[in-house]
Amino acid sequence: MSYVDRSALVTDARNAAGLLGGGIATLATGAFIAGWATLLQWLDLSGSYAGFSLSTWFGGALLVLGVGLALAALGTRAGFLETTPDDGAGLLVAVVFGLLWGAVGLLLTGALIDGAGAWIGALVGSIVGLALALGPREDFGSTLPPAAFLGLVGALLYTDFIGRDFVFDPGWTAAIFPGAAIVPGLVIFGSLLAVWSGGKVAAGFGPQGRQRGIYYLIGLAIASMLGVLALLIGFIIVEGLDVLLTGASLFGGSLRIPGLGFSLPVPQLPFLTNVTGGLYVEVPGVLPAAIGTLWLVFGAILLAVPTGVGAAIFLTEYAEQGRFTQVVEVATNGLWSTPSIVFGLFGLAFLVPRISGGNSIVVGQLVLGFMLLPLVVITSREAILAVPDGYRDASAALGVSRWETIKSVVVPAAMPGVITGVILGVGRIAGETAPLLLVFGGPPYPSSTPNVLGSFALSTRPPFITNEALLEPASALPYQLYSSITAGVFPKEIFTDTEFGWGTALVLLLVVIGLYAIGVLSRLYFRKKLHHE
Amino acid sequence: MSKAASEQTDRSGESSTPTTTGETDEEIEAAWTNYDSGKATKIAVEDLDVYYGDEQAIESISMVIPEQSVTALIGPSGCGKSTFLRSLNRMNDRITAARVEGSVKLDGEEIYQDGVNLVELRKRVGMVFQHPNPFPKSIRDNVAYGPRKHGEFNHGTLARLLGRDDRQAEEKLVKDSLERAALYEEVEDRLDDNALGLSGGQQQRLCIARCLAVDPDVILMDEPASALDPIATAKIEDLIQDLAEEYTVVIVTHNMQQAARISDQTAVFLTGGRLVEYDDTDSIFENPQSQRVEDYVTGKFG
Repeated sequence: MSYVDRSALVTDARNAAGLLGGGIATLATGAFIAGWATLLQWLDLSGSYAGFSLSTWFGGALLVLGVGLALAALGTRAGFLETTPDDGAGLLVAVVFGLLWGAVGLLLTGALIDGAGAWIGALVGSIVGLALALGPREDFGSTLPPAAFLGLVGALLYTDFIGRDFVFDPGWTAAIFPGAAIVPGLVIFGSLLAVWSGGKVAAGFGPQGRQRGIYYLIGLAIASMLGVLALLIGFIIVEGLDVLLTGASLFGGSLRIPGLGFSLPVPQLPFLTNVTGGLYVEVPGVLPAAIGTLWLVFGAILLAVPTGVGAAIFLTEYAEQGRFTQVVEVATNGLWSTPSIVFGLFGLAFLVPRISGGNSIVVGQLVLGFMLLPLVVITSREAILAVPDGYRDASAALGVSRWETIKSVVVPAAMPGVITGVILGVGRIAGETAPLLLVFGGPPYPSSTPNVLGSFALSTRPPFITNEALLEPASALPYQLYSSITAGVFPKEIFTDTEFGWGTALVLLLVVIGLYAIGVLSRLYFRKKLHHE
Repeated sequence: MSKAASEQTDRSGESSTPTTTGETDEEIEAAWTNYDSGKATKIAVEDLDVYYGDEQAIESISMVIPEQSVTALIGPSGCGKSTFLRSLNRMNDRITAARVEGSVKLDGEEIYQDGVNLVELRKRVGMVFQHPNPFPKSIRDNVAYGPRKHGEFNHGTLARLLGRDDRQAEEKLVKDSLERAALYEEVEDRLDDNALGLSGGQQQRLCIARCLAVDPDVILMDEPASALDPIATAKIEDLIQDLAEEYTVVIVTHNMQQAARISDQTAVFLTGGRLVEYDDTDSIFENPQSQRVEDYVTGKFG
């Protein structure tokens, strides 16, 4: 007696269902990519590709996908395909297709008749969608609703009923949807349905089928995320690389060796090594801004990391877990979600008059340090809490004091987590613009770099060490980017303001990636010290 | 807990239990309270109560732990034997809610009084935990951790630059401690490897070596082999018996065969945080006075 159905233990890995489903998923992925390429205007919807217009290709592809899915359903029913479908496609699938077909019904009837009649179409559509997905066995329920949708949309595109010149002008909103957006949108949506359904077919329905279908969909999500990332970075590189390399040469520069009387050829990258303004500068560069950003990040880390780690140690190791730590936790989270412009305003109204009387590096460092502080506290606290209590017990049982234990066991074990927090925070503050506009920025095209190291001086009055440069305004990369983009006119003819902005953006990206790299490497170093890798 | 309440516990708990020999619980209790192993006393516990908040974890325990022997504490889960163990080196101080009343004397000196140096106490009374907990450091650093923190050895770059590096003394201590913990031969050529790379049994012996490195008199062990496989357990058991020639070992265990194999005297804790019987291990396992202890050691309950 058995309540559980059994299917074959071993099935042919390359069976017909796998090939059909895999083919559908592959074609759908292609349509997905082409749909995005059309939306991003790399492909022209009315352009001719291999003799046919793109919308014809799209329509044909969707038709083929729909027919393929219908074939899969029929082939399963006829016994040609080896599959193990369940009794039904499931409520979630049914709801999705009920909504989808409800929308289709609403639009179709709305196109034919006006007024309340369209809602009857919606009702009929959703009932049909629900019933089609819920009624029959899984092999029909999860292929026929998408197949019918793909067939319908494919036919509309193939016959050019919906094409480049089609305009959807619904009465209930002032918005107008042009065909150039609708067609790729439909293709992308339809291909997602086909990828999911094709995945189910490929694994022969049942639990494995559901697994495969979702796996393909999630895979597309990951690919899309990476695509966005690559697009962003690639675009900045394409736009900015030419500017960055202006006047660059591998051996064009010369480095004079002091005292020897000859000089060595060195690589030359004027955009990175020149100042922005000034009379005799041929290629204006971003050196002042880059140095300014590094000083800002350095100062902010110097302020936030010791304070934040110290606070985290107090909260986890010394303070009793209770009302007080809860309040501190809420306050920290609140501080972290405070908008940066508010920090900037605070700096402008409170710090600037008390410290420098005007925009200055040190106030910028303080404000960014305040912004970094809560994240360092939160992540360090998590990292310290994650250190096993066994270490503390073992150390206490050896008679070692609490502070010694924290110093030599707890903090080293928490180090990778602390560094992760600092990396995340530095990524944020290095690109921060809003507070810098208020408390930090100086002239938009500086002709000198902030000379922080060189202006330390001793004085006879407290605090005995002064540094004029720290009290001066400067430029930072995001500030430079903002000011050159918004200035409208670039003072040198060699670049337009936009070109200079792209170059600055690329350098900013490189600086942030460089800071990330330093952080990741130090995290690896500490992790390696902790574990036997 | 008030006196009336504790008397109530007495009535409902022990007094109604029939005993093997027909004696009352009080008579048995008197018998084991005066139990004398014949060896010199290392730790004397008198009327020890431990509370976690309002909950009483152990209730008026008095026992004498003789030196250079293995004393096993057995009993079902939650009977307070670990709490008792942790009160012998004041590890319960680390739990804010814990409160200890009564007296524990180490070599005749009260450890629950003002002015007790916790560092010195824990140097003399070491502890090994249920789950091996080596630090994520090298084997050498693990063993030398205690002495370094107690300032026995100058160590590190600065010491080396100043020419005050006690490297050789430290090396000797590490070797000696590992040898006593029967681990040296296995790790001899990888003292600088991370201790987390060792197997569970090796890690536990490393923890014992780390404990030995601060030269304790007493070693408290809280189910030291319960997370280990049988072979590693056998090694730990052999090691414990060797250690007892020099140290006073107090071991909590769930495993009655283990207690029977390695201990000289056994204390049986039953629910409610009470010590029910304390005697030579042979007597406990072969001729227990209390019916409940007999039921427990023969596996009828627990």
